[in-house]
Amino acid sequence: MNNKLFPNLWRFIGLTAVQVLLLKQLTLSLGAYFNILLYPLFILLLPIQLATPYVVLLGFATGLTVDFFYGSIGVHASAGAFAGFFRFLLFTAFAPKGGYSGKEPIFSPEHMGWSLFLQVSAWFFLSYLFWYFSVDNFTIVYFGTVTLKTLAAWVLSMVFVWLYTAMFNPKN
Amino acid sequence: MGKILQLLLRNGGFVTFVLVEVFCFIIIVQFNERQNAIFTHTTGLFAGRVLERRQEFSDYIGLKERIDSLNGVNARLQTDLANARIVKFPLRDTFVVVLFDSLNSTDSVRRHVMRPLYEYYTATVIGNSISSANNWLMINRGSNDHIAPNMAVVTNNGIVGIVRHVDDHFAMVMSVLHRQTKISAALSRFHAFGSLIWEGGDPSLMTLKYIPKHFEVKPGDEVVTSGFSQMFPREIRVGTVEGDAVQDPENPYFLVMKVRLSQDMSTVGDVYVVKNLFQPEQDSLQVKVRNEQ
Repeated sequence: MNNKLFPNLWRFIGLTAVQVLLLKQLTLSLGAYFNILLYPLFILLLPIQLATPYVVLLGFATGLTVDFFYGSIGVHASAGAFAGFFRFLLFTAFAPKGGYSGKEPIFSPEHMGWSLFLQVSAWFFLSYLFWYFSVDNFTIVYFGTVTLKTLAAWVLSMVFVWLYTAMFNPKN
Repeated sequence: MGKILQLLLRNGGFVTFVLVEVFCFIIIVQFNERQNAIFTHTTGLFAGRVLERRQEFSDYIGLKERIDSLNGVNARLQTDLANARIVKFPLRDTFVVVLFDSLNSTDSVRRHVMRPLYEYYTATVIGNSISSANNWLMINRGSNDHIAPNMAVVTNNGIVGIVRHVDDHFAMVMSVLHRQTKISAALSRFHAFGSLIWEGGDPSLMTLKYIPKHFEVKPGDEVVTSGFSQMFPREIRVGTVEGDAVQDPENPYFLVMKVRLSQDMSTVGDVYVVKNLFQPEQDSLQVKVRNEQ
C-alpha cells in the first residue's frame, strides 16, 4: 500500500509546488499565451489499476488545490476531473496487445516505453489544455484564442513533461 | 457517504465525471467574477430570446383581435373620408352642401377644409395602471417619433389620456383615471359642454360637471369631446351617461352626472397620439388674454 501511496503523494506535492511556485510565475512573466501546466502529469501517473471514479475525484482535488493558488476556483478542478476521465479513454485506446498485465504500476516510460508514453501524454495534455482554456474563457466566442493558447501551452508543457520524466524516471 | 461511493464505483467513471463537472460549473460561476458575468449575460440573452418568442406567439394568438380592431379603424376612416367629400358650409341664412371634388383648387371653401388641424401617430401601450389614485400609462413612442407633452391619446373606442413626460423612445401618459385630469366634454345631443373629471374608485366611471341645469339629460346620452381643450379633437367618443343627472351640490345652476367610459381602461392596447398643429398659435393667443386680465 505504502509502495503505491508515497511515490504518488510526493509526486502530488512536488508537481503542485513546482506548478504554483515556479511555473505560475514563469507564465505571468512570459504572457497570456505562454502557459505551462505540468501538474496534470500527477493524474496521468496515478496507478493504472486505480478505478476511474477515484482518478476523476483525485483529478478534481488536485485541480482545486492549484485553483486556490491561481485564484480561479473550479477552473483547474474541472480540467483535472476531465483529465481523470480522459485518462481512462486513452489507456483503453493505447492498451498493449492482450491488455495490461498488472506488472506495470504506472503509465511511465520505464514500463511502457518512451514512444507510447509520449504519444499518450501528448494526447492527454492536448485535451486537458483545450478543456482548461475552454472553461477559463467560458464562451465559444473566443474559440480561436482558446485553440492558439492550447497549442502554445501544449508545446511548452510537453517540454517540461519530457524534462520531468527524463530527470526523475518515475517507476511507481 | 460509503453507499454513494459504491454507487459511483458501480456506474463507472462517467457518472462521477458528469457529477464533478456539474459541481465545478456551479463553483466556477459562484466564485469567479468573469465567468459569472459571462454566465449572467448568456442567461440574460437566452431569457430575452425566450420572452421574445413568447411575445411573438402571444402576438400571433392576438392577431384576430388586432385585425378586428384595425378593420374598425378602417371603417371609421372610410366613413370620415366619404363624409369629408361632402362639404356643408353656411351661406346667408342656410347651409349649402357641395361635393368636395366639385370645388376648384382656388376655392376658399376648399382651402378652408384642406387645412389639417390634427396629426395622428400610432403607438402601443407597454405599461398601464388603473388601481391607484393617480394612474399613468407608458407608450412605446417618444420624442424621436414626434411625440411631445400635452398631446391627446385616444383609441378607436374613446379617450385614454394626455402625454405628460417624453423621452427619446417612450412617453408617460397621464391616464383619464388621474385626479388632475380635466377634459372638456360635451353631451352629443345638446352640444352642451362641461368638465370631465375622475373622482377615484370605479375605473370605468368618470364625472361630468358644469352642464347647465336646463338640459334634460337622460341615462344613455352620448358624451363626446367638445374640441375646446386644444388637445382632444372634437367629437371623440367618451362614453354614455350612467344613471340620472343630479343638481351639483357645489353649484346649483349646474348638473353633475356619471359617465360610463366607452374605452375600457384595463384593456388599452393600440392608441393614437393626436398632435394639434395649431396648438402654439392657440396658446399664444390665450397668453395674450391672460395678460390683459
